[in-house]
Amino acid sequence: MILQALYALFTPVSLFAVFIGTTSGVIVGGMPGLTATMAVALLIPVTFALEPLTGLLLMGGVYCGAMYGGSIPAILLRTPGTPAAVATAIEGYPMTQQGHGGLALKVSVIASFTGGMFSAFILLLIAPALAVFALTFGPPEYFLLAILGLAGIVSMADDENRLVKAIISGLIGLIMAVVGTDPMSGMLRYTMGFTDLFDGIAFMPALIGMFSISQMLELTGAKSIITDTSAIKKIKREPLPKGIHKPIVLGSLVGTIVGILPGEGATIAAFMSYNIARRRSKHPELFGKGNPEGIAAAEAGNNGCVGGSLVPTLTLGIPGNSVAAALLGGLLIHGLIPGPELFTTYGEMTYAFILSLFVANIIFLLLGLFMAPYFAKISLTPTALLIPVVCLFSVLGSYAMNNSILDIFIALACGLAAIILQKTGFSLGALILGLILGPIAETGFAQALIMGHGSYAIFFNRPQALALWGIIFLLLAPPIYQIYKQHRQDRAT
Amino acid sequence: MTKRLAELIILSGYLILAVLLYRSTASYPVSVQGSTALYVRFLGMALGFFCSLELFLWFKNRRQATTEKMTIATVPLRFWGLFILLMIYSMALSYLGFYPSSVLFLPLAMLLLGAKKPISITLTSAGVLLFVYLVFATLLEVPLPEGSLF
Repeated sequence: MILQALYALFTPVSLFAVFIGTTSGVIVGGMPGLTATMAVALLIPVTFALEPLTGLLLMGGVYCGAMYGGSIPAILLRTPGTPAAVATAIEGYPMTQQGHGGLALKVSVIASFTGGMFSAFILLLIAPALAVFALTFGPPEYFLLAILGLAGIVSMADDENRLVKAIISGLIGLIMAVVGTDPMSGMLRYTMGFTDLFDGIAFMPALIGMFSISQMLELTGAKSIITDTSAIKKIKREPLPKGIHKPIVLGSLVGTIVGILPGEGATIAAFMSYNIARRRSKHPELFGKGNPEGIAAAEAGNNGCVGGSLVPTLTLGIPGNSVAAALLGGLLIHGLIPGPELFTTYGEMTYAFILSLFVANIIFLLLGLFMAPYFAKISLTPTALLIPVVCLFSVLGSYAMNNSILDIFIALACGLAAIILQKTGFSLGALILGLILGPIAETGFAQALIMGHGSYAIFFNRPQALALWGIIFLLLAPPIYQIYKQHRQDRAT
Repeated sequence: MTKRLAELIILSGYLILAVLLYRSTASYPVSVQGSTALYVRFLGMALGFFCSLELFLWFKNRRQATTEKMTIATVPLRFWGLFILLMIYSMALSYLGFYPSSVLFLPLAMLLLGAKKPISITLTSAGVLLFVYLVFATLLEVPLPEGSLF
């Protein structure tokens, strides 16, 4: 079966489809507001006219390319192309400011490649078995998964003052996520009569505002992103930092596991990988100031999600995330029903699709390595020309998600608020984390309580839940102890 | 305004938000009082607790704290000018549509930020709009804001 699949994949038409898909994915992912989901969804009608396999290869290429592409503007302009690239922006942009944008891009593409290859390998080998495990997760586990993600807020703080402010920021994010329709009763909450808020505050405009518009406003006082232009010329010679393989391996693992869980997206995978890498790093104090380890973990995490999310999609018809849901639509249109038949009757096509993910990863690796020095030159563009252009794409990106003018104003308000909050020591990363995880936390919490007839015991009496509590404890204990130790040292001096 | 004062204002605002959020759950349907309303109440209480804790730390450390001034913008004219221009641009999108608004926004913003060469301003603006037209509008068929006047 695999040999037949390889034969079907290595035809000029199929390879060309993977190439076009991956390249378009990198371009789409690199534009704020244009997500992989949107690109795959837009491709579905195009694939009508194509052979089913060619259509699938095109969509798979777009998915892989877009997940990597989001990191390019995140690193160079602090404008995440996709929500999953926020953690990359936190470390990548400071590196660009220090003149190491090229190295950041190199780390990003290698980590993305490794994460993508690892998850595709897992998809190929143990897809059905893993999908059954993911199905044992219920609402209490999803709530705890959100708590696990939110535990990262603690690692974003260095002292008790910062810790309290980071928690407040996270809570504000969770409160912003409450706006919209109540997931249980369907009641509208805090929408102030705006129909555009019925689905809640979309996080892409908020994210564009907080990371992109705020950065462009801050850059109004500078002539270009970097001051030392000689540093940018050293791009090709910069070797990869030592020990970078550890966060890459960690991110690949976390990304694949998170990707397999239905509903958990690449953003959560990236943040989770980033926070675990920060916890395990020998130099956690360098995180947030341009640490390549952070980029490696986040990028391996979000690309690891690609193969992971396809596990439940292909085996059970349950999409791992929104992009996988769009891809599932494409499969169904071509008459391919997820389940055992996909691996037997249509095995040749399914395995060719899975194998094409390896090819797509190789294509974006070559694209990224070859183009990195040219991409990095963006940071030399005079701000007088760069800022208006990035602002235009930010406005367009905010609008394009829901075709809503209100979303543009949300982005602008978030941009200004981000500057004030950052200057007063509040954490933007924690706020965004709260906003992203809020709906999962609320729905999981509410559904679990209904399931448990109002008893909180449901969060403790299942083995999966207990395992998650254990991981949460392991994540929280070291930073809290560290802050406590710091507090005692300060008092002693 | 000093950073400390800005912190105090923000924390006070959050504290008010926490109280309002907690009180708002009383109007939730009875069916969700034990689920989503409980979740929102928890958020309100947690925000109130942590804001009070931060305010306590604020008062406790007020003697050691420096009165550092909060500078939002290094070049205020450009910073606020760009922000106002972005607001006007966003409003203009619903009246003029994407292309006419952008034709005005891009050169004006570039001039405001110190661009002087008319050729680079014209070429950059035209290049960006052509790119948006070819990639966003034609290839990807992404709907762009349409004006009500044209």
